[in-house]
Amino acid sequence: MTEAQIDDGIANYQASPRWSDAEKLALRYSELMATNPEAIGPAFYGELRRCYSEPEIVELGSFIGFNIGYHTFFGTLKFYPMFAPDGRLVSQAESARIYGEAPASLAANEDAGT
Amino acid sequence: MTCIEPLQPEDVHDPELAALIGRCRRLGVPDAVFPGILAHVPAYAKALLNAMLLSHTGGGVDHRLKEIIRIQLTRRSGDAYFAGLRSVEALKNGLDEATIKNGCDDYERSPRFSEAEKWALRYADQMYMNPASVDADFYAGLKQHYSEAQIMELGAFIALHYGMQVFMRTLGTPGEQ
Repeated sequence: MTEAQIDDGIANYQASPRWSDAEKLALRYSELMATNPEAIGPAFYGELRRCYSEPEIVELGSFIGFNIGYHTFFGTLKFYPMFAPDGRLVSQAESARIYGEAPASLAANEDAGT
Repeated sequence: MTCIEPLQPEDVHDPELAALIGRCRRLGVPDAVFPGILAHVPAYAKALLNAMLLSHTGGGVDHRLKEIIRIQLTRRSGDAYFAGLRSVEALKNGLDEATIKNGCDDYERSPRFSEAEKWALRYADQMYMNPASVDADFYAGLKQHYSEAQIMELGAFIALHYGMQVFMRTLGTPGEQ
């Protein structure tokens, strides 16, 4: 897994040739649950069933819900990565200096206008 | 009916999971439906149900306050299933519907809640409505009433229950077509 794949999976997955239809559906499940959950109904679950078993859908759904809940909580705590890009364990003060005042994940959200 | 049908008790063969589902049913939150859906993935079900029960009934923050917070969160998540559930333990210890409604709608002006309780209700209210407002000053306000352990307990409880409500909302409400 590379950073380019991660970026592509977040910002460009629908048009990207990197992802299978099943993978695109899982990425869409995550995106919709966070941004437009009312769009996920029986028809969407019908599509998911064409690519995934019910246990796999429950696994995906609970994983996504868990992360939606916790990412917002973690965002309010404003903590920084424990490690510098060169792998050193660093203090929160040093990490803030390295990575900038806004945590990278929040900066990405602000760039996307969310 | 829900988009994923819950497993019935006789289809849950893991004794640890069956015991957890029994604890959920006795508390009333969640009832048999959500655990039955999670039971399609027994390892996830055990971890998530354990965390939901522990964060709701354990720790150092009043269970009744956390029950109001949990119901308040359903206003943000839009989940009718969790909104309709009530903790048997909280009701047994005096929580009533008028207090729940007040905690969801008008807690800031209500004489029913202490300043500490209002901070906790505000924490949950702002977390998903306006997370940018939950900043260093906000945490300083919380620290005037709660220990850091209690703040982490509240934050983790809010995050987990909100996340599960968002997932359940997409699955639909039991009993509805």
